[in-house]
Amino acid sequence: MFRSTPLLLALTGLLLGACTPKEPNLQTSNALTDGVLLPAYSTWTEADRQLAASALSFCAGNEDLQQARQIFLTAQARWAALQPLLLGPLAEGNLTWQVQFWPDKKNLVARQVESLLQQKPELTQADLDQASVVVKGLSAYEYLLFDKSLDLADAAQRQRYCPLLIAIGKHQQTLSAEILQQWQGEAGMAAQLKKFPNSRYAEAKEAVAEILRAEVSALDGLKKKLGTPLGRQSKGVPQPLQAESWRSQSTLSNLAASLATAERLWLGGKQDGIRSLLDADQAELAQRLDQAFGDSRGQLAALQRPLDELLADKAGRDQLNALYDSLDRLHRLHERELAKALGIQLGFNAHDGD
Amino acid sequence: MPRTSLAAASLLAVAISLAGCDDKKESASSQAVAPAATAPAATAQADEAAAKAVVRHYADLALAVFGDALSSAKALQQAVDALLAKPDADTLQAARAAWIAARVPYMQSEVFRFGNPVVDEWEGQLNAWPLDEGLIDYVATDYQHALGNPGASANIVANSEIQVGEEKVDVASITGETLASLNELAGSEANVATGYHAIEFLLWGQDLNGTAPGAGQRPASDYVVGEGCSGGHCERRRAYLKAATDLLVSDLEQMVGQWQPQVADNYRASLERKPAANGLRKMLFGMGSLSLGELAGERMKVPLEANSTEDEQDCFSDNTHNAHFYNGKGIRNVYLGEYRKLDGSLLSGPSLSSLVARADAQADASLKADLDASEARLQALVDSAAKGQHFDQLIAADNAAGQQLVREAIAALVKQTGSIEQAAARLGIGDLSPDSADHSF
Repeated sequence: MFRSTPLLLALTGLLLGACTPKEPNLQTSNALTDGVLLPAYSTWTEADRQLAASALSFCAGNEDLQQARQIFLTAQARWAALQPLLLGPLAEGNLTWQVQFWPDKKNLVARQVESLLQQKPELTQADLDQASVVVKGLSAYEYLLFDKSLDLADAAQRQRYCPLLIAIGKHQQTLSAEILQQWQGEAGMAAQLKKFPNSRYAEAKEAVAEILRAEVSALDGLKKKLGTPLGRQSKGVPQPLQAESWRSQSTLSNLAASLATAERLWLGGKQDGIRSLLDADQAELAQRLDQAFGDSRGQLAALQRPLDELLADKAGRDQLNALYDSLDRLHRLHERELAKALGIQLGFNAHDGD
Repeated sequence: MPRTSLAAASLLAVAISLAGCDDKKESASSQAVAPAATAPAATAQADEAAAKAVVRHYADLALAVFGDALSSAKALQQAVDALLAKPDADTLQAARAAWIAARVPYMQSEVFRFGNPVVDEWEGQLNAWPLDEGLIDYVATDYQHALGNPGASANIVANSEIQVGEEKVDVASITGETLASLNELAGSEANVATGYHAIEFLLWGQDLNGTAPGAGQRPASDYVVGEGCSGGHCERRRAYLKAATDLLVSDLEQMVGQWQPQVADNYRASLERKPAANGLRKMLFGMGSLSLGELAGERMKVPLEANSTEDEQDCFSDNTHNAHFYNGKGIRNVYLGEYRKLDGSLLSGPSLSSLVARADAQADASLKADLDASEARLQALVDSAAKGQHFDQLIAADNAAGQQLVREAIAALVKQTGSIEQAAARLGIGDLSPDSADHSF
């Protein structure tokens, strides 16, 4: 697997560098890595650094609950923005649940937070590292700051819950920094998306395929995140408390952040995204994808009320169902037509259970 | 990703590609079609015949497995009748033993679920899980349920009318039909009123030990009529247990009927009418989906990673190790064309394994080796339980060695799924996409 010596890699790099103009897949994988993937991972890591600092500051009484919540919401939005980019270290290490545990059908977050603090009132970082993924991430942090049964503006409650809040912040900071480090450097994930062949990909097209798979998988995930509270899998009966991030009412803003990243993969930072791989004779498909993105984005932006309110009346549910259908069209276009047009097999783990 | 050598594709593969089961075929199989033009038609027919024999035997396996599930459910029914006739520790113990015995064939039947809609659309009434048991009967005060489930504490045993959100539901008479109508009440999939797990809860009660040793401890006196009745409402609890058990038996009878040979309008007839490739795809898809998304993912990875006994398959009885082992056995059965019946005899016949071996002996050998490895890893969970450490203890946050056992079983199942995909490709079935249930490994 790791036979390639650094020298060989360097030579390969030189050779590839020499043959301009670049092959389109190579151009795209380079552009997306530098223009979309790396910046998103950096921003996420920075948001988690601020989250860890905020937990300390809030618990020391130097920040109020409102500020702490705001910083949490930023970290959560950065994580949502990362969803279409879950390839490489984060996906392979089975680490995503450490960042956010969802779906949480049985309210494990509340149950495990309370039982952990009962067992370890003087919780340490090491205690958290050994604990369940359920209490390590944003879902537990959200529970602490937003659940109606808690009030961390109250000093006595802060004393009880702050060790956990601080430990989660620190855990997220450490985890995200480690992931970013695995993206950077000569043998990092980013380099492997830019220079070929390497131990991961034989050629640029494989890297583009992997990026597309991650995006399509995330688009499918968006349907699930909207469909679950909407009751698409539960006889049409809305399940607002099964929504992702329901406590902080960020389900829809999370969707918007993820969708925006998917569209960035499509367009690229400088019109150098996946779209640029389609030939002139595939322009019609490109336009339909442009429209599909625009439709989903527009519908999402037009939702003026929070999710639980929309779920409560028919007009709201109609709007959400229309958004679901729009996301479904977008997903199908990618899965069926775009993948085919690019000659990419989505195959295994494409999460398409239909 | 290992690549499929075109040369390795056998004439059989070509035949299957030509037969074509749906429009899902991708470039790999359309490439394989090209040389078919020169293939002797007789050979192609012979291979289609061989593949059809494999599908027919698959239906025989299903018939035998569901038949055993039915006979062991009838034995459970008798044991439940005996418990109700004379509720004491011995009859309760016997009913629990009968439930555990009934799980052996049923768990081997689950490989038929994925890919066969007739099974998939039917199985929820029998094996839905995890459930909010407070829908059924009394629960401890620290009981946790699905968020927003209005039926989570309805307690059908204690109430002849239950309040679910705004709605009142009449449950005065407890029949199989009434209970079945309460499944997924108010849209919540945690509302499970029927099936193996409802019966399991009625026989064992809640397991209040978390990740510590011990299963549910329901006393037999919960079924005593009149004086001595514990838990309250014993008459209704008795009626519930009886109705749920009878429903299980009649549901299984119905499924056995779907797999009987020479019945013009049952599921088996429609399966056998279609091109063999359609059946082979279902077999492989079922194996892969149970192996990956369901067993490795929903049933092992979720409870392991979340240290969640709530997500344990047979959580009231602590029988999860067996549930997992026999799920694995079912996957193996379908590939090898074998099933060890409850009467001890071995049913065997034309197998997927032999078809794959003819196309690529190496692919067959790899998958067999993987099946052996996963069985050994699942056996390790059974052995651990025999030594007193059950699945719910293995997944405890502070049990590193226990977690490792579960992790190894998951890894073996994931690896095996890769080989299932390879085997499928050798038979010309590309893009198998086993259901991953949204898990990545």
